[in-house]
Amino acid sequence: MVEKQRLAEIVGSTNVSDDPTTLDAYSRDISFVNQTKPAYVVKPHSGPQIKELVKLANETRTPLVPVSSGPPHFRGDTVPAVGGAVVVDLSEMKRIIFVDRPRRVAMVEPGVTFAELIPAAAQAGIRLNMPLFPRSTKTVVGSMLDREPVVMPKYQWDISDPLACVEVIFGTGDDFRTGQAAGPGTIEEQWQVGGMQKAPYGPHITAWHRLVQGAQGTIGIVTWASLRCELLPQLQEPYVVGNASLAPLIEMAAWLVRLRIANECFILSSANLAAMFAEDWPRDYLRLKAELPAWTLFYVVAGYSYFPEERVASHLKQIAALGQRLALEPLRAVGGLSARKIMKAAQATCPEPYWKLRYKGACEDVFFLTLNDQVEDFVELMQALAAQVGYPATDLGVYVQPIVQGTGCHLEFNLFYDPASDHEAERARSLASLATTTFLDAGAFFSRPHGEHARDIMNRDAASLEVLKKLKGIFDPHQIMNPGKLCF
Amino acid sequence: MALEDYAGDMNMCCRCSACKFIPLQMVKGFKHANVCPSISRYNFHFFSAGGRLNLGVAGLEKGFNYTPWYLSSLYNCQQCGACDVSCKYGMDMEVLLPIQELRIKAVEDGHAHPALAKVVERMAKTGSMVPMEGAGRGDWAQGLGLKDANQEKVEVLYHVGCLTSFDEGFRQLAQATAQILTAAGVDFGILGQAETCCGGRAYEMGHKQDFLTQAQKSLEQIKATGAKTLVTSCAECYQAYKVLYDRFGLRDDHELKVLHITELMADLLSQGKLQPKKTLDLCVTYHDPCHLGRLGEPWIHWQGKKVPGDRFIFDPPKPYRRGGGGVYEPPRQVLHSLPGVVLTEMDRIKEYAWCAGSCGGVIDSNPEFAQWTAEQRLEEAKCTGADAIVSASPWAEKLLKTAAGNGQCHLGIYDVVELVAQAI
Amino acid sequence: MALSKERFQAFADVVGEENICDDPTMMAAYFRTDFAAVIMPKDPSEVQAVVRLCNKFQLKFRPICTGWTGTFQPGSILLDLRRMNQIIEINEKNMYAVVEPYVTSAQLQAELFKRGLNTNMKGAGAQCSAMLRGHGHLDQSCGADDRNHLAVEWVTPTGELVKMGSWGAVGEWFCGDGPGPSLRSLVSSVVPPSTTPGVFTKVAMKLYHWPGPDKYALEGHSPRYTLREFPSNMMARYYSFPTLEKMWQAEIAIGEAEIALELMGFNAAMVAANITTCNEEEMAMFERLSKEVQGPGFFVIIAGDSPEDFAYKKKVLETIIAENDGQSLKTVEDPELEGILLTQCTRISASVRETFRPGGCFKSIPIMGQRDLTIRWAIGAGQAKLPLIEKGLIADDGGGFFGWGVEHGHLGKTEIFCKFSALNPVAWEEVTKWHREQSQRALEEKYFALTMAPEEEIETKIGPALSNYHVWWNKVLEALDPNGVVPDKGMSWLL
Repeated sequence: MVEKQRLAEIVGSTNVSDDPTTLDAYSRDISFVNQTKPAYVVKPHSGPQIKELVKLANETRTPLVPVSSGPPHFRGDTVPAVGGAVVVDLSEMKRIIFVDRPRRVAMVEPGVTFAELIPAAAQAGIRLNMPLFPRSTKTVVGSMLDREPVVMPKYQWDISDPLACVEVIFGTGDDFRTGQAAGPGTIEEQWQVGGMQKAPYGPHITAWHRLVQGAQGTIGIVTWASLRCELLPQLQEPYVVGNASLAPLIEMAAWLVRLRIANECFILSSANLAAMFAEDWPRDYLRLKAELPAWTLFYVVAGYSYFPEERVASHLKQIAALGQRLALEPLRAVGGLSARKIMKAAQATCPEPYWKLRYKGACEDVFFLTLNDQVEDFVELMQALAAQVGYPATDLGVYVQPIVQGTGCHLEFNLFYDPASDHEAERARSLASLATTTFLDAGAFFSRPHGEHARDIMNRDAASLEVLKKLKGIFDPHQIMNPGKLCF
Repeated sequence: MALEDYAGDMNMCCRCSACKFIPLQMVKGFKHANVCPSISRYNFHFFSAGGRLNLGVAGLEKGFNYTPWYLSSLYNCQQCGACDVSCKYGMDMEVLLPIQELRIKAVEDGHAHPALAKVVERMAKTGSMVPMEGAGRGDWAQGLGLKDANQEKVEVLYHVGCLTSFDEGFRQLAQATAQILTAAGVDFGILGQAETCCGGRAYEMGHKQDFLTQAQKSLEQIKATGAKTLVTSCAECYQAYKVLYDRFGLRDDHELKVLHITELMADLLSQGKLQPKKTLDLCVTYHDPCHLGRLGEPWIHWQGKKVPGDRFIFDPPKPYRRGGGGVYEPPRQVLHSLPGVVLTEMDRIKEYAWCAGSCGGVIDSNPEFAQWTAEQRLEEAKCTGADAIVSASPWAEKLLKTAAGNGQCHLGIYDVVELVAQAI
Repeated sequence: MALSKERFQAFADVVGEENICDDPTMMAAYFRTDFAAVIMPKDPSEVQAVVRLCNKFQLKFRPICTGWTGTFQPGSILLDLRRMNQIIEINEKNMYAVVEPYVTSAQLQAELFKRGLNTNMKGAGAQCSAMLRGHGHLDQSCGADDRNHLAVEWVTPTGELVKMGSWGAVGEWFCGDGPGPSLRSLVSSVVPPSTTPGVFTKVAMKLYHWPGPDKYALEGHSPRYTLREFPSNMMARYYSFPTLEKMWQAEIAIGEAEIALELMGFNAAMVAANITTCNEEEMAMFERLSKEVQGPGFFVIIAGDSPEDFAYKKKVLETIIAENDGQSLKTVEDPELEGILLTQCTRISASVRETFRPGGCFKSIPIMGQRDLTIRWAIGAGQAKLPLIEKGLIADDGGGFFGWGVEHGHLGKTEIFCKFSALNPVAWEEVTKWHREQSQRALEEKYFALTMAPEEEIETKIGPALSNYHVWWNKVLEALDPNGVVPDKGMSWLL
């Protein structure tokens, strides 16, 4: 095991903890992952410190588990899978390195949260393509590295968006910059000639940032990342479309994305909307659940610098025609919930308590990617499985997020449960497990595998697995980076 | 010109592969984007124009090596000119001409294709490209009372062609042509038994000298008739007299207007001299024969020198034949004029038509490939929903009929002349 | 050099004798390289079998689709993928199409147009493979490079068949990344010059909405096809600006306004080349356009999804142009020429006129990345062309460069080339020198670094300047290619 003193020499003694309470907090999260206590928690403040930590970890064969967001965590990837690990908590690396309006790009350290970056970007006249209602402790880098879906599919040209470039310390202890950031020169030297580290590809024919994304910290630790940003609209018109069945809303969403006439665009079940917007618990929650339609499509039509009203008007006319064709009516509010309220929430972080915890105190998520025309089938399947285990269907939270300009959907089921109730916890756990295995066989693509089934999911294509293992052997030959996660 | 004279053109090939496809602007779907039968069938790049040009460059640099693959590349080419059209959509360079020179050189170097050599030998001996099946060349005209151009001077000479004269299935084409000309009051004659081959196919087979010798014979005959206009219902004969003879200066001392029967019919229809009355009730699609279309574009006489410098340009500027000047509208005008005939176009037409397969001697050197090519054309014709495919080349029609017969295709196959004869 | 009998038979047993040629005479048809053989597999299993044999015999191999460019090692096997030419699937609901290597962009686009869809077309031309990692005129609205790839099916250098993303996991094509880290990190190109080790056998391509006609109603004859009817919801214009800075401001404003289907930063020489049907006409047109343009410019196509949308885009475009003192090129306002440019710049059917028509040779420095940065570099590269133009070694294009915005100006492409005669050794030498000097300057002045370079330069200069990517790449290649069958370490550079 690594010595505390050696860790302290790198990060400073105040940034190394083996306090039992602290270790306990990092040994678990809201998911059903096995609890394993780390040996230490360290908080570095710079890339060079991280580099030294990784070198030390190699020397001493110490597992490292990077984490950047604050609690609560939901996926289990920030909990050590093996004993003797050191959690590398990056949450205090909070530098917003730059926000650049002309190139629509920002660069941040891993500890920068959405709550911190949103106002900084807004000051420059730009905004982030965000995940849905992230908790206040959620970091931008953490979200991007997990390939979390974003609420503006129009601006997601590639599944790696909005991530642009990263600086990463590989498991070998070597530092590497991806994309345009790779060089020539240091990033400071690049800035001097006007280079702003935005182009993600390369160097050469590779796209190294894709290796780090989705890796759950098993390849290396990111010390900063750049991300593409979008313009702040001058005019925004939010709308909601409610419907008892999902398929027409999915079709409408697909067209809104295909024609690029909606910015934010996603679908939520009544249970989720109620959990997000109920103010007076439990009355508001119950009322919203009762009054909201089963499904609500939310979208925003926006205008920018040039004649924003005319742009919005022409888009609204197209949407009206679309609505007619699909027998759907865009409204300003549904079930007493205004579209404007949803919009404000979608463009900010979630105030405490985090919406997923409001109903029952805990939540287990089952999420995957699928084709637009398979979403409804999976929802029906989940409802059947829920009935099988006795999970109330009306409690099922569902989130449908079109991705990558319409090439599919992120489909997410939120299983709320009372963590103090063993029965509810076990029911949620078993439903999640059953759903995962059933969906896997039914064609759900679990691109971001977490939890007990991660290994099975990773094993689906043996040839791909072989290559991944070879890569792991190159970038982390001593298997110190978050061992036990994914297939490693 | 010899192959060496095309060194600059061959070096211009940048290997873009446009020669394999119809002009990219005209691609209408996944199907029917290919235009070169050779590479479409055999797939290796050396079955494309670009591949052959690269081989030409290498040959000029290092010498020619006539391996079986090389000869296969050389002779499994209809020389249909589609590659030339597609390349020249974007480039200024000759493509078909150097490809023809490669074959001519092969023959000169003693590597004639045996099947083609046999055909050329027959032509030299008998004046016919096709076997004479017991009948005489002019037998088709028996009892029609047509003017004998051997005996009296004629203004218009109807040149029948070898296939039409000797092939039982096509004699009625000659009869129909004569019927039409007579009905329109055209004063014409025929050479009948004495008619000899135009020699055009021999040129494409690589036997340039044999072609020139045969061409002289044919021209002497034609001159003797006094004809100022030669009309033919064979697209290949048309191209020979119209283009090849002009190109090689064979007609320099003899003014001769060369018309394809479809051009003459279009003219006669517009003058009211032909009046189709019977309704045919037929939906047709039209196959542009290579020799009437892109290969039939008039020859442009030009001589000049390359301008030194960064561009492949010449002084005086070189005008390129790019296929647009062929005979495309007259056959269509004729079809449009026939009552009850509806014309629906295929995807590959006019200067970018798919070859029916009979050009370049392939029908003799590789009948299976020729037939495959025709089958592709029939498949394309079927996609139009037409009842029949109509063309203006007996060679194309013969191959299409063979291909249709084997596959039991139910498309009718006609010559334009046949439909006109039915309608009048 | 031909294969031994035993090796020939082993390959022939896989693909059939009619699909393998090892006649040394015929290799010249492909490239100026003495390949051991050209082999044409018909499906992934044949590709795998051939690759495994290459491993067994320690023969290097390289795949090509239509095979326009590349440098190759003598004695290597060339995999000609022509027989793999099917469109596997077009999925309108999920905006992707799955293609094999030899489906041309023209074929795919023509099928997509019928369905109101489009794909990004490579600037090199519509005859190129639809699956290429590439970029072109439509990047503004249709993305570019590997960002248009979804799931990929890949035969590795050892002959394993890797199905990336959702294709391997669940038999669907819509996502190429995951589970976990993405293998698309390693392999994004398809064929030379920058080549993925191994062979792509199928790729799912991302699709885009197409508001234009199901097919263009064209008339005329090659080489001048004109539109019988111009689509009422589309417009094409060329705008020039008094300064490069104003052009750039207009370009970025158009990107941010998200109004352009296409923004192609042609220079006047390229416009002249595109709309003319021969060299002489091009030279005269260039002279004419040079007088008409006030400075650098770009070509724009706007297309409305509704009459209001079209009217809006037109209004915004004209406003931006006016704000930046831009002027519309009258020549392009001629409806016939407007139609020619519209069709040729969406099909990309005539780009060879811009590059190879003059002299059969062209050498280029293309950079994908941050547009304003690469424009600054390109100014110097353009000035460095002028002496070569004066000496008559390269075609006169005024020292121009070109480029365009990608993804509504988020990214960009800048390119500069020299067109010259294939038969002029002095031109070759001077252009090669220009290429080297300008690439070097880009590296030294920290604009970018070209990774298409000789191995020694990569190892000593370029790799170290780019985070030592070459070290990692070499390790990756060693792991993927233990038998060393990938030529040039997966890099080849244009001569």
